[in-house]
Amino acid sequence: MARRVALARRNLFQDRRRAALSIVGVAAALLLVLVLEGIFAGAMQQVTAYVRNSPADVFVAQEGARTMHMTQTALPPDTVESVAAVEGVAWAEGLRYTTSIVDAGAGQRTAYVFGYDADGRGGPARLSAGSSPGVGEIVVDDVAAAELDIQLGDTVRVFGAEFRVSGLSTEGTNIVNTTVYIRSDEFADLRGDSFAYVLVGARPGADLQVLVDRIETAVPGTTAQTRAAFVRQEKMVIRDMTADVMRIMTVIAFLIAVVVVGLTLFTTTLAKLHEFGVIKALGAGPGRLAAVVAAQSMWVVVLGLVVATLTASVTGLVLEAATPNIQVSIEPESILRTGLSGLVAGALATAIPLRRVHRVDPATSFRRPQ
Amino acid sequence: MTDAAPTTVEALAVRGLTKTFGDGELAVHAVRDVDLDVGIGEVVLIMGPSGSGKTTLLLMLGAMLRPSGGSVVVDGIDLATAPERRLPTLRARHLGFVFQDFNLLSALTAVENVELACNLAGTLGKRAHIRARELLERVGLSHRLDFRPDQLSGGEKQRVAIARALANDPKLILADEPTANLDSGHGRDIARLLRRLAREDRRSIVIVSHDDRLREVADRVLWLEDGAFGELEHMPVDPVCGMAVDRGTAVSAEVDGELWWFCSGGCSTDFRNRHQDAAGSTP
Repeated sequence: MARRVALARRNLFQDRRRAALSIVGVAAALLLVLVLEGIFAGAMQQVTAYVRNSPADVFVAQEGARTMHMTQTALPPDTVESVAAVEGVAWAEGLRYTTSIVDAGAGQRTAYVFGYDADGRGGPARLSAGSSPGVGEIVVDDVAAAELDIQLGDTVRVFGAEFRVSGLSTEGTNIVNTTVYIRSDEFADLRGDSFAYVLVGARPGADLQVLVDRIETAVPGTTAQTRAAFVRQEKMVIRDMTADVMRIMTVIAFLIAVVVVGLTLFTTTLAKLHEFGVIKALGAGPGRLAAVVAAQSMWVVVLGLVVATLTASVTGLVLEAATPNIQVSIEPESILRTGLSGLVAGALATAIPLRRVHRVDPATSFRRPQ
Repeated sequence: MTDAAPTTVEALAVRGLTKTFGDGELAVHAVRDVDLDVGIGEVVLIMGPSGSGKTTLLLMLGAMLRPSGGSVVVDGIDLATAPERRLPTLRARHLGFVFQDFNLLSALTAVENVELACNLAGTLGKRAHIRARELLERVGLSHRLDFRPDQLSGGEKQRVAIARALANDPKLILADEPTANLDSGHGRDIARLLRRLAREDRRSIVIVSHDDRLREVADRVLWLEDGAFGELEHMPVDPVCGMAVDRGTAVSAEVDGELWWFCSGGCSTDFRNRHQDAAGSTP
């Protein structure tokens, strides 16, 4: 498309200080949304870390249980053998799990407690120090350990029993809670012998959805899900829990963006009203004038989004460094969504300036500007 | 006054043009039943006192004000009856404007100001840029292409404005007090430039002005008063400001037995003082 004179950009940046203030104002509003979404996206990454890092292809739970969070699930111990017998299953392991408190004396945290076979597949994805739990031992997440001043060899209490810290795991702590791992048989001694989940490995080349259907048919009273479906369900729970807060903050940020862009355009337009009259006199129609005002709005929003994205990334790094249990994940979808909201805000903000421009009389070009 | 006679073919034909603001007893007849033909390549200067209807007439000629009656035909199109939505396009493609206050867009450079008018007329991209450069070179501003209006002198600004008025290659240029904000030297330069454009390009130019210097370049001078054209040839000229004045409304004074006419009491007093000073200095 052939180029036109960039009147909108020139008008906007003629007063660089005003343009910079507007861009910073919009960026601040968008930054609020990006950082909040980043924190929640990070929290989702953390919350789903165990499932995402698990070698299991399929998770089997009590019928109707589709998440780890906000859910109780109990399966009879013989479910493991029943699942293992299903065609297409390469291996099956029982996993014990519940929510409790890890008490380090100096402080305590809510924790997801996993009971797994020390030589099995249900343990932490990686240990940053120490070793898997032996009898009377526990693995604590390294972030929570740092917070609670727990060292290898220290003693913590879980389920009212004392455990010696044998190792430190990673990626297991989020804003809400942490994760700890003990031996499966000790878990059974303290909380009963039922399993919460059965982890299933599929035979190579197996269709996972077919396998899921087969397990649910062969083992009544269970719900089976692929790992991806399980992660989706987990994220959905978190999203549902935080949706209202996110919505409120997004609306506030949206309104701030509308006001900032609106004020910018209004002052720029007022300052240029006589010139808009001249452009009209020279033959610009309403569409061309609207395009100039809209382009100014778009410039403010796009540059505001760029500044907000860069600032959010830096803010995320600073937050993560200052608060290790917070992970900030600025995702492309979030930037896109925030940018689109910003553009809608920008479009709304053009309403009043456009009205003023539309009403300006081209005959004013024959009078001295006031 | 002129170096070549314009043709008789009309670039602008105005018939019975009337503009009345308000109605009933409050009606103000700004322009009354005006007829005007402007030939191709002709420069017409319209003079008249403030409030005589000059600007109202110019606005109607420029399709910026709807007449109460009559017609304004430019390039075969009657601007008075054209649909409202077509008027911007008609202005962009058929008319050139030169304003008293130059009215350059302050955020744009000289070349961009002209290029914008090219864009409005439908010429885009590199072609518009090249045309804008050529027009500015033509008005003697090839060394000021990338200067913003606040970096240009008054005369240079008006040259940019004239280049802008040429952007759409109009047959008719409407100029509102084009020399009013310029000193005498720059004012003459602009007047000659307008004359040259009319002669070389065969463009018609209608100038509305108080500036008597523009008479030098006009093929015809018309006197507008109370919304109607008067007979300028029969009007006396104010010896101070050079403005043609109507005997009915002008200030008169007899000095040394000779009757003089002035546009205002200020010019009359000025003239008497000068006369007395001249008489006092005579040995």
